[in-house]
Amino acid sequence: MNHLTPDELIDAVESMLAPGRQAHLATCEVCQRELAGLSSVLNDAKQASVPEPSPLFWPHFSERVHTAIDQDAAPGGNWPAWMRWQVLAPLGVVAMIILGLLIAVPKQDPADQSLALQAPEALQAPENWAMVTELVGSIDLDTASAAGVIEPGVAERAVLHLTAEEQQELTRLLKAELQRAKS
Amino acid sequence: MSHDSALAIQAWALPVVKPLSELNDSELVGVAARGDREAFDVLVERHRRTVYQVCYRFVNNHEDASDLAQDAFVRAWKGLKNFKGHSALSTWLYRIAVNVCLNRVSARTPAMEPIDSTDHVADLRIEGAQHAMIREERAAAVRKAIASLPDKQRATLILRTYHDMSHQQIADVLGSSVGAVKANFFHALNNLKKILGTEP
Repeated sequence: MNHLTPDELIDAVESMLAPGRQAHLATCEVCQRELAGLSSVLNDAKQASVPEPSPLFWPHFSERVHTAIDQDAAPGGNWPAWMRWQVLAPLGVVAMIILGLLIAVPKQDPADQSLALQAPEALQAPENWAMVTELVGSIDLDTASAAGVIEPGVAERAVLHLTAEEQQELTRLLKAELQRAKS
Repeated sequence: MSHDSALAIQAWALPVVKPLSELNDSELVGVAARGDREAFDVLVERHRRTVYQVCYRFVNNHEDASDLAQDAFVRAWKGLKNFKGHSALSTWLYRIAVNVCLNRVSARTPAMEPIDSTDHVADLRIEGAQHAMIREERAAAVRKAIASLPDKQRATLILRTYHDMSHQQIADVLGSSVGAVKANFFHALNNLKKILGTEP
């Protein structure tokens, strides 16, 4: 025997039970007891009215609603709390300081960059290169290294980066220099 | 287009020649949605009692109920332009009130008025004093039991029992199905039966 489901019991409480199930309810004491219990507690609930507030409460309530809406509609009323001027003003000051610093700090002059790019070309002129050679010609490797002009080991690293042809030319020059020293 | 929404649209176009108190809810909504605070005041006056009662059933005390009802009306004012008139204004207000209550109630345990509260014994002159007292004590116990039900069960019981909303309307308010509403109603009554059966 299928007893009434919770849905059907609610239908029965509300006098909307399907006729087919009504026949079961008429003969089933378990379902009748269940229905009686639910109906009784529902009846209790219906009789439990809400206590009526003082008559003075209602005008006061309307006034409260009116005031609350006024406050909500006040300028800034719909803005999130963090977007109030007390928060935004210090943030604005910080932003101004950062902007000022960005403007005040000097940038690298583009003219300097053009000079740096032009320098190798300038040295390609024979007379300029001769002047440089004359200036550094008397400085040996140890002196240059001690003066910080070149780092120790830089010559060895430079040789490693020469092409095969350059290394042959270097060998030829060194041999010629040795020959000249012997003679 | 529903009859209600047609009225609401008409209300936008109608010049207000009648006193606000003589306009129906749909007409008042139309006027209030244009920013007329007095029209909204009339709506508050008409529905404040039922909205307050919904809230009271949830929290079972006057102070919180009045705060929640006020909050519900403020939200209604802000959302008035979204009211399309597909349902009665009262249903829409219940929906807002229930949502306000569910949000607030889930955030804290509701305060309860004492069961032996004797503030509301207006029937004393009509009925015998003893009978009225017993009846009021029983009502207070029932209210307390309802306020202790789980949120969805409580909302379902309140809307079905006291505001005569259909299962479908309650399902719409709670964002659930008719089956879930019936199940919640069944469990609410069953729990109420247990609570009241164990409490004096």
